[in-house]
Amino acid sequence: MKIRLDADRCQGHGRCYTLAPQVFDADEFGHCRLLIEDVPPELESAARTGADNCPEQALTIED
Amino acid sequence: MDADQNPSQAGTSTLVDIAAAQDPRAVTRALREQPLFRVGEDFCAITRRADIERALRDPALFSSGAEAVNLGNVRPLIPLQIDPPKHVKYRRVLDPLFAPRQMAALEPEIAGLVNRLIDDFARTGSCDLHTQFAVPLPCTVFLTLIGLPLEDLDVLLELKDGIIRPPGETLAEQEPVRAETAQRIYRYFEDVIAKRRQAPSDDLLARIMNAEVDGAKLTDEEILDICFLFIIAGLDTVTDSLDCFFAYLAQQPEHRRQLVKDESVIPSAVEELLRWESPVPAVARVATADTEIGGCPVRAGEQVMLLLGSANTDDSAVPGAHEVDLQRNPNAHLAFGGGVHRCLGSHLARQELRVALREFHRRIPDYELAPGTVLEYTPGLRSLHTLPLVFQPELEG
Repeated sequence: MKIRLDADRCQGHGRCYTLAPQVFDADEFGHCRLLIEDVPPELESAARTGADNCPEQALTIED
Repeated sequence: MDADQNPSQAGTSTLVDIAAAQDPRAVTRALREQPLFRVGEDFCAITRRADIERALRDPALFSSGAEAVNLGNVRPLIPLQIDPPKHVKYRRVLDPLFAPRQMAALEPEIAGLVNRLIDDFARTGSCDLHTQFAVPLPCTVFLTLIGLPLEDLDVLLELKDGIIRPPGETLAEQEPVRAETAQRIYRYFEDVIAKRRQAPSDDLLARIMNAEVDGAKLTDEEILDICFLFIIAGLDTVTDSLDCFFAYLAQQPEHRRQLVKDESVIPSAVEELLRWESPVPAVARVATADTEIGGCPVRAGEQVMLLLGSANTDDSAVPGAHEVDLQRNPNAHLAFGGGVHRCLGSHLARQELRVALREFHRRIPDYELAPGTVLEYTPGLRSLHTLPLVFQPELEG
């Protein structure tokens, strides 16, 4: 699984890094920064949770 | 809708009354039967989640500029009423000041304040949650953060209400109050800024005054236009949220017990109650060109309300939208708006709401509305004038 961030869509709601800090982090503006792009099996669920909770649909999962 | 009424007035009152309704979900559910709720020739509201998202993400077509809503100000408020590309220069200064890490650092201070406020009523067995908690908590946090004297709170609340809830029924009555209040806000902050130039301090206002954008400091007017927005955005919305949350939990003991039993539910409960209550039921935009929403024409220059509360309970986009699930996942609500104008203070609001729910329920796990209470929600932004609660008094020691 891969996760992609559309930085132009991210507006810093912060849902992803709050819910899945193993996969997502905040930059100094509170916008999303990916900690990993290739998601190991044990973090797939966390990555999906982050993506599904983004109000801007800025995160895309590629299986 | 009353058939005798002028359709335009009836429409306006329907919009204003969303916040004041006992059940705003029922009002917006009916509105979503049409994609566009037309209030008058030059005023309409977008009702469905997908269309609201599209409008939030298209500030070139749905501008947040000063024409979108009259708040008595003579220059655009910063950053709310500035659209891209200029908008980003202000957000690059302000976003780091309100970023999650900065707000997380306030937790001990907020928890201390929450407990001091509870100390005042815990042993009495009753409180007015609105005046004794929902107003002082966020206002004290916010004034301390910006660096304004707490003794100015009453004046600042009066100024804020003069803009958000001016007396009068009609725009003709309200607009002069807004305009006059706005002038007082400018004068108040001109004085604050002048004093700061004499005696620099170390708080959020100082950081804004010292910030550089493209190699230049912000002008006094720019700082004024930021402070104006801070007062009307920072001194009302968390109060509204606390009123809505505690009124809900007072009437839903099962959900309250869920929080008491397992504090780890609190962060998702905050998100769900924000979705459900949507204390800011709508945000205002102005169309910059002729366009359409779901086949309904919208003309250039029209004021367009984006009904965030409606988006949040739109069951075509949110599964089980009409149920409250404190552990809802996913919950991609739009209670803080969306697109480039996403609420600057959202991380501060979340921090305050989480700490408030946690500390309050540790000390007062069981409470209900005082007998005979009829909740009267305010129009515009959803809050209460009073929220009387009764509970078992806390024991000494």
